Amino acid sequence: MSADHTRDPCPIVILNDFGGAFAMGAIGGCVWHGIKGFRNSPYGERGYGALSAIKQRAPRVGGNLGVWGGLFSIFDCSVKAIRKREDAWNAVIAGFFTGGALAIRGGWKHTRNSAITCACLLGVFEGVGMMMQRLQAQPTMAPVYPEEPQALAA
Amino acid sequence: MSSWLFGKNSSDSTSDSNIKQTLGFDPNEISDVNKIISSPSPSSHASLLHPLAGLDKGVEYLDLEEEKLNTVEGSKGLIPSRSWSDDLCYGTGAVYLIGLGIGGLFGLQEGINTLQPNQPGKVKLNHILNSITKRGPFLGNNAGVLALTYNIIDSSIDALREKHDDLNSIVSGALSGALFKSSAGLKPMAISSIVMATAAGSWCGIKRLLQ
Repeated sequence: MSADHTRDPCPIVILNDFGGAFAMGAIGGCVWHGIKGFRNSPYGERGYGALSAIKQRAPRVGGNLGVWGGLFSIFDCSVKAIRKREDAWNAVIAGFFTGGALAIRGGWKHTRNSAITCACLLGVFEGVGMMMQRLQAQPTMAPVYPEEPQALAA
Repeated sequence: MSSWLFGKNSSDSTSDSNIKQTLGFDPNEISDVNKIISSPSPSSHASLLHPLAGLDKGVEYLDLEEEKLNTVEGSKGLIPSRSWSDDLCYGTGAVYLIGLGIGGLFGLQEGINTLQPNQPGKVKLNHILNSITKRGPFLGNNAGVLALTYNIIDSSIDALREKHDDLNSIVSGALSGALFKSSAGLKPMAISSIVMATAAGSWCGIKRLLQ
């Protein structure tokens, strides 16, 4: 498998993932809570309701997603460094630890359940990603060579 | 300066034209086609025409398109960046983490200061953790949103002007500060705009010192 040139090498990519996940969450939260705030406000105050919902909630969505993405990246890099290989299991293991770490204040049972749920989710993601990759891959055809001329006998 | 965090300042001594002349097939070596055709043993030239010919002169590396760095003039920052999305992710991530860390430290101090003396350890720990998670994400989220708007505006101005300089940074800092406080009234808007412009300007100075 060739190296992934769209992502930076490991320790520094954590910063990238923090920022990327935060930006995704904040912008997505703007859209989501903008619509939600708009729909849930009375007529005449819909613009104001959308704005205040965005102001209150979009940064929080960004922060939650950013922490998730950053923690995942940290665990992913650690798992890569320990296992010294890159495959789909890295993401599953990193998801397990991320889910556990985020739920660690809720008690042992909550931590365990959250870790397992997160690992399963990441496993499904990885599986779907692999299937898409296999579907999109061009089938490789063996090149047709011209037949070698028969060696003339004497 | 060269480190794993900030990359290497590019100081390539070998220029592109130099490489092209030294590697692979050189048409100047062959003055006349007839020399190849009329030579006694064609197999001696088969090695010259082989796809892997000229390997002894060195290997020519593929220049991948996605490895290319940002081409906007003056955009070379501390970390090598490929495009505006790299700037956005790294800038936002760094500022968010710094905000989270500083806020968390403030929360830690506040939690330790407001501890009730005669309580079990678990409750004390919970109190400290609560105050950390109250302060840290608040500061981190606000700093992250500011950095996000700053980077978006900065990259847009860069793309419009097709170059990057300190003026762009200061203007985009002022704009993002104004946008951040735009619902609070004119005076807070002006204050946050000035604060952000100053922060952007001083960051430009720090960047110049580090480079």
